Amino acid sequence: MVDYDYKKPKSLKEVFGLLKKYGPKATLIAGGTDVMINIRNRELSPEILISLRGLSDLCYIRKNNGYHIGALTTHRMLEQSDMVRAGLSALHDAASQVGSVQIRNVATVGGNICTAAPSADTAGPLLALDATVALEGPNGRRRVPIADFFTGPSETVRKGNEVLVEFDIPEEPGHFGSAYWKHSRRKAMDLPLLGIAVGLALSESQEISNARLGLTVAAPVPIRAYKAEEFLIGKRLGDDVLVEAGKIASSEASPRDSLRGKAWYRREMIEVFVPRMAKLAAERIRGE
Amino acid sequence: MSNLLYVGKGTPRTIEVDKVTGRAIYINDLKLPGMLYGKILYSDYAHARIKKIDASKAEVLPGVRAVLTGHNIPDVRVGFLRDQTVLKKDIVRQFRDEVAAVAAISPEIAEEALDLIEVEYEELPAVFDPIEAMKEDAPLIHEVDARGKPIRTNILPLPWKFYAGDIEQGRKNSAYTVKDTVSTTWVNQCCMGTSGCVAEFDMNNDLTFHSQTNVVFLGKQRIMEYLSSIGMRGRNVRVINPVVGGSFGTKLDTDIYEFICILLALRTRKPVKILFSREEEFRALPPRQPAVFTIEQGCDKEGRLTFRKAEAILDNGAYTSWGATTPSVMVMPMSSLYRVPNVSFEATCVYTNNIYCQAMRGYGNPQATFAVESSMDELAEEAGIDPAEFRLINRNQSGDVTPMRLKITSCGLEDCINSVKQKLNWSEKRGKRKGKGVGMGSLIHVAGGARVYKSDGHGMIVKVDQNGHIDVLDGGTDQGQGSPTIISQMVAEALGFRPEDVSLTLGDTGLCLWDAGTHASRHTFMAGNAAVRACEKVKQQILELAVENIPKVVKSGFRRKKRNDPDFVEPDLDYTLISKPEYLDIKDRMVFPKSDPEHPFFRIEVSQIIRDALHVGTGESKVVMAEAFYDPPTEMLDRELKGNLSCTYAFGTTGIEVEVDEKTGEVKILQLFAAHDVGKAINPILLKGQIYGAAYIGAGYGLTEEMKLENGRVMNPNFLDYKMLTAKDVVPVEPIVIEPGDEDGPFGAKGIGEPGLVPTAPAIANAIYDAVGVRIKSLPITPEKVLAALKEKRK
Ligand SMILES: Cc1cc2nc3c(=O)[nH]c(=O)nc-3n(C[C@H](O)[C@H](O)[C@H](O)COP(=O)(O)OP(=O)(O)OC[C@H]3O[C@@H](n4cnc5c(N)ncnc54)[C@H](O)[C@@H]3O)c2cc1C
Repeated sequence: MVDYDYKKPKSLKEVFGLLKKYGPKATLIAGGTDVMINIRNRELSPEILISLRGLSDLCYIRKNNGYHIGALTTHRMLEQSDMVRAGLSALHDAASQVGSVQIRNVATVGGNICTAAPSADTAGPLLALDATVALEGPNGRRRVPIADFFTGPSETVRKGNEVLVEFDIPEEPGHFGSAYWKHSRRKAMDLPLLGIAVGLALSESQEISNARLGLTVAAPVPIRAYKAEEFLIGKRLGDDVLVEAGKIASSEASPRDSLRGKAWYRREMIEVFVPRMAKLAAERIRGE
Repeated sequence: MSNLLYVGKGTPRTIEVDKVTGRAIYINDLKLPGMLYGKILYSDYAHARIKKIDASKAEVLPGVRAVLTGHNIPDVRVGFLRDQTVLKKDIVRQFRDEVAAVAAISPEIAEEALDLIEVEYEELPAVFDPIEAMKEDAPLIHEVDARGKPIRTNILPLPWKFYAGDIEQGRKNSAYTVKDTVSTTWVNQCCMGTSGCVAEFDMNNDLTFHSQTNVVFLGKQRIMEYLSSIGMRGRNVRVINPVVGGSFGTKLDTDIYEFICILLALRTRKPVKILFSREEEFRALPPRQPAVFTIEQGCDKEGRLTFRKAEAILDNGAYTSWGATTPSVMVMPMSSLYRVPNVSFEATCVYTNNIYCQAMRGYGNPQATFAVESSMDELAEEAGIDPAEFRLINRNQSGDVTPMRLKITSCGLEDCINSVKQKLNWSEKRGKRKGKGVGMGSLIHVAGGARVYKSDGHGMIVKVDQNGHIDVLDGGTDQGQGSPTIISQMVAEALGFRPEDVSLTLGDTGLCLWDAGTHASRHTFMAGNAAVRACEKVKQQILELAVENIPKVVKSGFRRKKRNDPDFVEPDLDYTLISKPEYLDIKDRMVFPKSDPEHPFFRIEVSQIIRDALHVGTGESKVVMAEAFYDPPTEMLDRELKGNLSCTYAFGTTGIEVEVDEKTGEVKILQLFAAHDVGKAINPILLKGQIYGAAYIGAGYGLTEEMKLENGRVMNPNFLDYKMLTAKDVVPVEPIVIEPGDEDGPFGAKGIGEPGLVPTAPAIANAIYDAVGVRIKSLPITPEKVLAALKEKRK
C-alpha cells in the first residue's frame, strides 16, 4: 500500500536537515507530476516526501547580468513571461508545450531537469541556451554546466544531499535567437519523440558567430551536437549549410528503436528539424 | 412536418447538467452499505499451463473477504462460443486471462492480496499472427470445444461466406481491375468512464446488478443463464444502469469481470464493486477487431462496378466475443456500398494468443469500408475516372435492392457526394500533388434497427399523471449519446406537451419493457417509433377523457358563476365541437377543438382533465398510460448472410483535405466535411455532436490510434502512449446534414450514432494519395509509414 510521510520545510537549511536524517528514504517533491506517477507505478516507494514548495523564494525569473530562473519556477510561469518569450525563445517554446495547462501550472523546470528523462522538454533548450545549473548542499553551492549535468537516463551529477536551486543563462552578445521543436504525435499531453533546440548568434552579414544545438531523445541523455555546431560557426546562414549541419547532428546522435518511435525516423527528423529550427531562430533574430 | 414545435430544434441536453456539475452517479460514485471491492489477477503469460495457484497468503490478509480461483468456483463455460471459463485454472491463453479474484474491504487491500497470490506457470508455445496460427503445425489455442470435442485447428467454426452473382462473369465484363491488401489494427474504445459494476444478492439470492451494459435485457438473460448453470435456477435478476460514461461497443457483451463480481458477491453475501483502472481498460477489455483484407474489384469502360471479391482474416484473439461476428456487418459495405452486381466475401476468424476482440462503434464497418474505399480510389485511377465521379456512377439509389437483399428506401448518397465535392472545391483542388490533396469515402450502415436477434423490438411505456407530467419508461440505455433529450422532444411533439414535461427512466429491467439494446445506431429510430405509437394511444385516451370531461368542467364552471351571480346567463355553446375525440387536439398541454383552437371555454389544460378523471369519487377513476412495443418489419440474415435486416439505411460521405509534410511524413487535416443522410435531424445540436465525435474517433483511427501488442502483451496501456487525439489536435469537422426524410423513421429520422466514423480513415488515405502519391494500406497512417513510402517512391 502507498504510505508515506510528508514534510514541507520553509528553508533550504531545514531541507538539508531532513535529507540528512532520512537519507535515501526521502524523496524531494516539487510539482509532483513525476514523483506521484512513479509512486503510483510503484517505481518509487519513499518513506517521506520532502516538499520544496515551501521555498517560495526559489520561484522567480530575473534578468540582471544574464537570466536567472529559480528551480521551482513552473512551466506556466515561463510560458507567460514576455522576458522568456523574447530572450529565451527556445525555452518558451518548450515550456508552453509541456503536458497541459493543468500540468504546467504545477510542474517545475527544476523537476523536469532533475527527473532527467531523455525526453525532458526543457533540457534541449537549456543546452542550446548554455545554461548553468546551481546546486546547493549543506556545504554550499556549486555550478555545473547543463551539458555536464546528465549522466544517464534518470541519472545526474546531483548528489543526494543537494537541491537544484537555480538556472543561470548568459545573455548572448549581439544578435541571438533560439527555437525548439517538440516532435510529437499530438499537440497536447504528449512527450517528444525527439526534441531539437537551436541557439544561434548571427552577425550583421548573416554570418553564424555562435551556434548551439541541444537534442533530446536522440541519445540516452540530452546532448549537444558539438560537431554540427563547430561546422556552423563562421559560415554564412544558408540552406546548404543548414542541411549539412542537420546531417552532422544526426550522425552525432544515437537514437534507439522504441515503442514510441523508430531510430531511423528520429535520425531523419534531426536532419529535417535542425535546419528548420535554425531558420526559425534566425527569423526571430530578424524580428520576423 | 413543417409545423413541428420541438422535433428539429436544438434543444439543449437535459440531464447533462448533473454530469457537468459532478452530481451524476457513475459506477465510480455508487457505494452501497457494507460494499466490498473486487480486484482481478491476470495472467503473466500469453500461453501457459497453470501448475499451481497458491492463494493461502491472500486469504489470511486482514480485510480480505474472499479469494476466488478456478478451483473454488463452478467449472462453467461462458462467452459467445462458450470457449472460456470465468477464472482459468488449467491453461491461460492470453495476458488478460483472469486467474484469480479478491474481494476486500478496500481496493488497496484487494490489490495487496493479489500480490500475495502465487501462481506457477509452465510456458507453452504461443502464436500471435493469425496467418501463422492457421498453419497446420501452429500451437493449438484450444484443444477441445464447449462440448469437449477435440479441436484440430485454430480457425473458428464460424465460416462467414457471402456470394451473390457470378464473380467470373463480372471479371469477364471488366475493362479494369485492381487487387490489393489492406489491414487495420486493434484500437481501444477509450470510454471516458472506465468499466465497472456492483453486484448485490439479497437473502433470497435475488441479484441486483448495477451494470453499464447497453443491452440490459440480453445482459439479464446471460446472467440468468449463468446463475442457472451454477445451480441457482429461478433466482431473479434486476439489471440497472448507473450513469454511463460511454460505451462505444464495450458494453455489448457481458464481460468476464461482471461474472467475477457476481461470484464475489455470492461468496461474500455483500455488495461487491469492481472498477477498472485505465490500464485494465486497455489490457483487459476487448478492443476493436483487427482485420486483413484482400480485395479485388473491377469496372467496365463506363466505370460501372462489375464485381467485388474480398477475403478477410480476423485475429480473433484467445476467446470469442462479438469481434468474431463483425463479418456479419462487414458484409454490408462489401456487398452494398455502391451498386455492384457480383460479390464474394469470405472472412476467417482465427484464434491466437492475442487479446480477444469485440464490438466498437461501426462494428466491422470501418474496417471493411477502409478496404472498399481504398480500392474504389485505386480502381477509379486505373479506369482514368475522377474518384468522385466514379462514386457517383456507382452510387446507391432509392428503390435499390442490394445483392444482400437490403431494401434501400431512402438514399441521399448522391447529395452527400456532391455536397462534399462542392464544399471541398474538389475539381479545383484534386490531382495537384503538391503536398496538399483531397479524398473522400462513403458509407452505408443500418439506420432503422438491426435484426441481429430474433426480436429487434423496443418497448416504451408512457404515462401522464394528474399533474400533467409525463413519465417515459424506455427499455434502451443512455451511455452519453443524449437519448433522453431526443426522446423528450419526440414524446412532447407527439403528445402536444413540452420537452420539459417529460422525465425518462432508462436501463432498468425491473421497470421497462424489452429492448434489444442501444447498439447498431438504433435508439433514436426505435424509441422514436415506439414513442409515436405509445403517444398515439395516450393521446387517444386523453381526448376520450376530454370528450367526457370538458362539458362537465365547463358546466360546473357555469354553475359556480350562477351561484355567485344570479344574473349570469349561461352562453349557448355548440358542444358538438368537442363531442368526438377526433374533433380535438393537444398542443402546449392544452386540449382544444380543432375547429376553434382559441375557444374561450373549450380550451382546457390536460392536467385538469386527467385530474377530473382520477378524482371522481366513485369506483370509476381512470389513469392515462399506454405502452408500445415496436418491432420493425425486417428480417434476420439467412444462411447466405442475405436479408433486409434494417428498416432503412444511412448513407454518408466524408471529404477531407490534407497537407502532407513530405520531409516528416506528418499529415494535417485541413478540412473535413462529413455529409450525412440522416433522414431528419431530431435535434441538430446532438446530431452534430455525434458527427463531430465520430469524425474525431475516425481521424484517430486513420492517423494515430493503435494498441501496440508485442507477443500478445499490450505495450501502451495508457493515454500517453495510446495516441487518442486531444482537443488541441483540432480536426476542423464541418457536418453537412442532408434531410430527405425517411418514411419509416420517426418524424423521418434515421439512426446516426456510428456512421460518421466509418468513412473517415479511407478518406484520409485517399487524400494522402492525392497529395503525395503514396497509398498507405495499413492503419493507422503514421508519419513513419508515410515517410517510408515516400522514400520508397523516390527510389
Ligand atoms: C500528464 C503529464 C504530462 C507531462 N508532459 C510532459 C511534457 O510534455 N514534457 C516533459 O518534459 N515532461 C512532461 N511531464 C513530466 C513532468 O511534468 C515534468 O518532468 C515536470 O517538469 C516535473 O516537474 P515537477 O515539479 O512536477 O517535478 P516532481 O515530480 O516534483 O519531481 C521530479 C523529480 O525531480 C526531483 N526534484 C524536483 N525538484 C527538485 C529540486 N529543486 N532539486 C532537486 N531535485 C528536485 C524530485 O525528487 C523528482 O525526482 C508530464 C507529466 C504528466 C503527469
